[in-house]
Amino acid sequence: MGILVRAVPLCFVGGVLGIAGNALSPHPARLGIPVHAAAESGGAACQDPRASVARVSVEEAKPLCIACTAAFVDARSAQEYAAGHITGAVHLAPGQPAGPLLPALSAAPTVIVYDRDRDCAAADQVAVLLKSNGVRDVRVLTGAWPEWLAGGGPGESGTCSLCAGGAQ
Amino acid sequence: MLALRGGRAMMARVLAVCRVVLGALFIWAAVTKLPDMAAFAQDVANYRVVPAALVPIVAVAVVGIELLAGIALVIGVMDRPAAAVLAVLLAAFTALLAQALLRGIDLRCGCFGGDERASWWTVVRDLLMLAAAVAVARGPSPERTNVTDPA
Repeated sequence: MGILVRAVPLCFVGGVLGIAGNALSPHPARLGIPVHAAAESGGAACQDPRASVARVSVEEAKPLCIACTAAFVDARSAQEYAAGHITGAVHLAPGQPAGPLLPALSAAPTVIVYDRDRDCAAADQVAVLLKSNGVRDVRVLTGAWPEWLAGGGPGESGTCSLCAGGAQ
Repeated sequence: MLALRGGRAMMARVLAVCRVVLGALFIWAAVTKLPDMAAFAQDVANYRVVPAALVPIVAVAVVGIELLAGIALVIGVMDRPAAAVLAVLLAAFTALLAQALLRGIDLRCGCFGGDERASWWTVVRDLLMLAAAVAVARGPSPERTNVTDPA
């Protein structure tokens, strides 16, 4: 009984410590904003009808990846890319030059951009950059990397050999 | 009598090792989650057990409790309450993992950050850590045990 009584303040202080750690985290959890299971929400946060870049779901994108009929672009950080990405994806984060990747991406029938957040903000930035550089069929993956993982999409780890200044 | 004392001393040493290793594991588990708390919240949501509105605060609290309890175990202060808290967490993690695997939900376990997939091996690993946590919670506190004193 004494152990349980002493465990209560430990949990309370731990909770406060967690809130402090979250505030200092570079990618904090947004307190007060509901988080739905990736496979259940279907990338709803990314499916804005006013978006300037077309969307593609994980279900639609998986066969394109397996058949290699689409090029994938990872718009997350270099560290996240190196830890795990869609098989065959190249790395291009917002703010990085697209030039070295343009020949390969322009030759692909479809280019699918994804990021780590379900609002697809980073993927949208990269997709707009690619479109402005002449890549024709650019789409953004709804549900992003978490849903790709939850959907059992193929992945691999390692650095990007095609990228200059990216995930080297 | 000496054999009995030797057995107790050995048991105390084993518990001390369990305490420090378990504490270090939980410190590591918390530290690997801190750089991407949003991803850990998503991992928690993917288990489809915690209500969506509570997912962020549950994720944040779990990481903080893991860190504090891990530190308490390593330094041997409030180690038994810390082990009891971790035992409850580990029992919950084990149950969550098992229900997800039984329901055929394919997901990251969210155990040590990164992209580790949940599997039955993860369940076994959690059960081993649960056994260690229960042993430490039920065992004598290092504050009251002098394992080096043979008398």
